[in-house]
Amino acid sequence: MRLRLSALAISLLGLGSVALAAPPKESVEADASTRQVAITSSFTGTEILVFGTVENSVQPSAESGTYDVVVVVEGTPAPVFVRKKARIGGLWINAKSMRFAALPSYYAIASTRPIDEIAERSVLDANEIGFDHVRMVPAGTGRNEPTDPAEVAEFREALIRLKQNERLYVQSNFGVTFIGRSLFRATIQLPPNVPVGPLVARVYLFREGQLLSQYKSKVMLEREGIERYIHDSAISRPLLYGITTVLMAAVAGLAASFAFRTST
Amino acid sequence: MGLVSLKKHPPGQWPILVLTDAQNPSMTLYLPIAEMSVSVLVYLALGAAIGFLSGLFGVGGGFLLTPLLTFLGVPTAVAVATGTAHVVASSVSGAVTQYRRNNVDAKMGSVMLAGGIIGTVIGVEAVRSLRRAGLFDVTVSLSYVTFLGVVGTLMMIEGINAWRYLHTTGAPHGLRKSGQHSWIDRLPLKMRFQRSKLYISAVPPFVIGMFVGFMSALMGVGGGFVVIPAMIYLLRMPTGVVVGTSLFQIVFVAAFATVLHAVQNKTVDIVLAALLISGGVIGAQFGTAAGDRLRSEQMRVLLAALVLLVAARMAYDLVVTPSDLYSLGSLTGGW
Repeated sequence: MRLRLSALAISLLGLGSVALAAPPKESVEADASTRQVAITSSFTGTEILVFGTVENSVQPSAESGTYDVVVVVEGTPAPVFVRKKARIGGLWINAKSMRFAALPSYYAIASTRPIDEIAERSVLDANEIGFDHVRMVPAGTGRNEPTDPAEVAEFREALIRLKQNERLYVQSNFGVTFIGRSLFRATIQLPPNVPVGPLVARVYLFREGQLLSQYKSKVMLEREGIERYIHDSAISRPLLYGITTVLMAAVAGLAASFAFRTST
Repeated sequence: MGLVSLKKHPPGQWPILVLTDAQNPSMTLYLPIAEMSVSVLVYLALGAAIGFLSGLFGVGGGFLLTPLLTFLGVPTAVAVATGTAHVVASSVSGAVTQYRRNNVDAKMGSVMLAGGIIGTVIGVEAVRSLRRAGLFDVTVSLSYVTFLGVVGTLMMIEGINAWRYLHTTGAPHGLRKSGQHSWIDRLPLKMRFQRSKLYISAVPPFVIGMFVGFMSALMGVGGGFVVIPAMIYLLRMPTGVVVGTSLFQIVFVAAFATVLHAVQNKTVDIVLAALLISGGVIGAQFGTAAGDRLRSEQMRVLLAALVLLVAARMAYDLVVTPSDLYSLGSLTGGW
């Protein structure tokens, strides 16, 4: 009896101490410095600042590294072909191809430290954090599509490498920095060849490998002014656009011809 | 000035020109269809150089422009379609200049044009099915190497022979030998082409036009490098009207191809076209003027050398082990 009472008292005490000591759950809130990026005739790429704050941070200082933050900025998913050349009859010809159904056209990732140190593979896979963890679903419509897993892996690596060469897949291992206990920031470069379309910014908060919270925000990437007018014309009035181009070419050619005739 | 810097590139691959825009932001322009930011000066210069050659040789210059644009990083589909617009501009000024000099056989040109329109439509259809099969780029490369190689070699041999003949006898080598049409003479639908001083069947010029229209759609070229030898060696037209007539026909075929590309593929970049054309039309005038000072034999040898150079460059790409076996393609780009 006494034993049972004391056990109850201990458990009550334990419960009480937990309830008292447990801080409110941490969460993350974030936003981008620019919600709207205008692509005009002078567009040469730009950079956006993603900043946010850890609610209920228990981190004593900016340097203590209690939390890990990962910022991912993604472009509109689009199908991609990866082709592999092979020597056929002395010529290098695209012999094999894989089609991936929907892959981010642009993928920038910044984190407080290398992502494989931040969380387990399964967590990264589930949230598509990092190039190697982006879901790449073969559409199965390529030519001589490889089935051997090693070869498929090779195609994926090639895809990531080529996207990185184009500066469309960007990784910055220490790109997220804390300013103070809860405020953090990351700059994301948008190259001049960034595919036009809405971008999604995803922010993840980790602590000791556990995903505590995540936040999503949108950045519009739109053509504006004359760029928009030209692009819209090309898509919605292609015949008129084509004829206009030809007329412009013909008039320019004739004008130059006559200008030179009178001057010489 | 630091206008242009070379991006780090793997060996054996063409460098990508990127702009150090910090110093001179006004000199870059964003292309709405190609979706890239480019240096105004580089593209003006490229247009001028191609325009000069087209004025000099009476070719559209597409066979040089398309590969060069892709080497600069322009998506190939955009390069092909926009290249045709540039061909219109550079050829129209050349064509007008030639027309004023009465160097155009309009009747011959019209017959070829009729064939050219049909050939272009067939060509665009062929492009579509080849893209679907994923065989477009190989077909294009092989076509370039084959056509440029064969035509360049033939022109080189003929040109050198003519040049030698000129040097030994001091008189130009007569190209047109009457009564040498053989099988062409036996074809029906004979027409009189006064300007060319020919009385031949309309079938050969029509078929040549059709073939060139087909190539124009497939390779993004005007087709001058095929039309000119065909006119000289098959139709036996006098050299004086060959350049003007080919320009006349090229202008209309290229205009038709531009509109067709704009409607079917939406790959014509009007801003890129404007840049290339601004340089091109001026270059073409200087080219025409320079052409007046060159003998046709010399011109043929020079053009042959240029054609062979491009063919060699493309053959090299097909044969040499690429630095990266892999490449990316999107559904819109196709290549």
